[in-house]
Amino acid sequence: MRTIRNRLCTAGMASGMAVAEKGRSDLGKEVEEKLHEFITYLKQKNPHSSYDVAKRTVLLLREVCSKTRWYSARDLITNIRAAGKKLIAAQPSESAVGNMVRRVLKIVREEHASCVAGSVDEVDVRALLQGRDDSDDLSRQTPHLKGSVIEIINDLLGELELSASNISSQAPDHIHSSEVLMTTGYSKTVEAFLKAAARKRKIEVIVAESAPFYRGQELAKNLAVAGVETIVVTDSAVFAIMSRVNKVIIGTHTVMADGSLKAINGSYALCLAAKRHSVPVLVCAALFKLSPQYPCSYDHDTFNKIVSPHDILRFSEGQLVSKVHVQNPVFDHVPPDLITLFVSNIGGNAPSYVYRLISELYHPDDQEL
Amino acid sequence: VTVHDCSFDIYSVGTISGLRAELKVATETLIKARTSTVSVSSGCELFLRFITMTSLEGQNDFEDLRRKLIKRGDMYLQKVADSRQKIAHIANPFIRDGTTILTHSRSRVVYCLLKEAMSSGKRIKVFVTASTIDNSGEEMHQLLQDAKVPSKVILDSAVGFIMEEVDLVIVGAEGVAESGGIINKIGTYQMAVMAKALNKPFYVVAESFKFVRMYPLNQGDLPNDEKYTSVNSSEDSHPYIDYSPPQYITLLFSDIGVLTPSAVSDELIKLYL
Repeated sequence: MRTIRNRLCTAGMASGMAVAEKGRSDLGKEVEEKLHEFITYLKQKNPHSSYDVAKRTVLLLREVCSKTRWYSARDLITNIRAAGKKLIAAQPSESAVGNMVRRVLKIVREEHASCVAGSVDEVDVRALLQGRDDSDDLSRQTPHLKGSVIEIINDLLGELELSASNISSQAPDHIHSSEVLMTTGYSKTVEAFLKAAARKRKIEVIVAESAPFYRGQELAKNLAVAGVETIVVTDSAVFAIMSRVNKVIIGTHTVMADGSLKAINGSYALCLAAKRHSVPVLVCAALFKLSPQYPCSYDHDTFNKIVSPHDILRFSEGQLVSKVHVQNPVFDHVPPDLITLFVSNIGGNAPSYVYRLISELYHPDDQEL
Repeated sequence: VTVHDCSFDIYSVGTISGLRAELKVATETLIKARTSTVSVSSGCELFLRFITMTSLEGQNDFEDLRRKLIKRGDMYLQKVADSRQKIAHIANPFIRDGTTILTHSRSRVVYCLLKEAMSSGKRIKVFVTASTIDNSGEEMHQLLQDAKVPSKVILDSAVGFIMEEVDLVIVGAEGVAESGGIINKIGTYQMAVMAKALNKPFYVVAESFKFVRMYPLNQGDLPNDEKYTSVNSSEDSHPYIDYSPPQYITLLFSDIGVLTPSAVSDELIKLYL
């Protein structure tokens, strides 16, 4: 036992790589099984709800914390990173996985710092100037770390579960009576938001159907069933109808670190039309969708998911298919200057404030896992 | 960096306040001597703060403090020297393969970044403005040629003409203001406005010691002694620097990470408190 413990400690301090290789044995059979199960789930082609993905990631990481063998914060961080890397590699376009891994890593670092020094760890230039090297700090053993990390992870799970209802409870603050709202595609957050607004205000909703998946039609049906006055329009009518719209409310897949969005295809056109008509754009997105990464070349190939063109041009139209190049991207990149407000579970924030949220939720050392 | 080499002669003074006074005198002499005064003044200001912080850690013996200061100063110098490489590493992923880059005048940080992009196997093409006030653009062109980066010098007035051909603009900075805007060689402002007009990303690379506690609202807010060169400081001569407001800047790359212009004031507070 002692020799294994010594080996782990020295390996952990010497190089993360060595322990990552040992990672397989460090994670234990039970956790490895669950990891593989989740990876299979991620690799399926069906679009996943980011909430489900985020929740499952946190549950898995809680297993890693509670059921694997680790002796210091550094070991735990290495274990989490090893698991996280595999998950992200399984489905790189699913940013919720990476976000949750980094959230948990920040939790571990914070709890370690408060166990050791009684003060919250802060990365700043002064620390760099004073040559404070905290790589040794993380290898210090803290007895209560496990308990407090599990507790905070449970808080995180609670936050995830309540995020949709927290966002929709803010609806009456942002929506006034007799307003015409516009949205595109189908976002569960936006659906809940609009339903909550409809309970207290008289609103009318225009939904762009969002070809080629036509999920906007699904949203329109759900809203109509709930008694909200809904109109469905084609995507090409968005600009024409924008002059009658008071507010645009959209959901998003991811919020990037500069405040830009990775949203469903069609959102960029909607936001441009809104800007042209000076219509405020509200983005309803929970904090687990906030990613600390900037849209740049390291994920250029994985930024957008291009799926089968069958929905645009059926394969049965064989003659045409061989002569044209058909692309069916799933996402749009919306720059931050087109967005007015982010409505998240902690309240409303401007896109220029996103940097602050990121510095509170994530640690810069975890950028590259 | 050479600034700190000079200011590192810790004179034989007996007290901390004596030391501070000496350093202040040294700072003023340096500012009068060089032309790029904004980075000098911010660097010296930070160094003075650094001293204050060290002395606050309660040293009874002055000799002890002196040794500690020298050690810390060396460490700081080392970090500053490494910061250019760190910035190049952080900013490298934002330059894709096959991009055309426009830059302004001569900046060592931009040069370091372009060299890194080249060595990581990317094919890039660079346009450099001649920056005719002192032809530093030609110097940059020479440096890039030596590093085997394909580059071309363009007229300062050709920035608008060439903007449609470039994919992104990268400039250095003499100073980063509290608003998130930058103070840089004259000609940067019009490049920023052009880039915004044609929807090209405008990136700034600057080390953290260049963050200065200034909040200019327009060009007139830049202090005159920094605007004009020390050679002909009359108001009739040409200004040497200009201010580019934060709304034209896409991202700032610094050794403390990637920042949006709105994040700069937060970082400044952390540096100076």
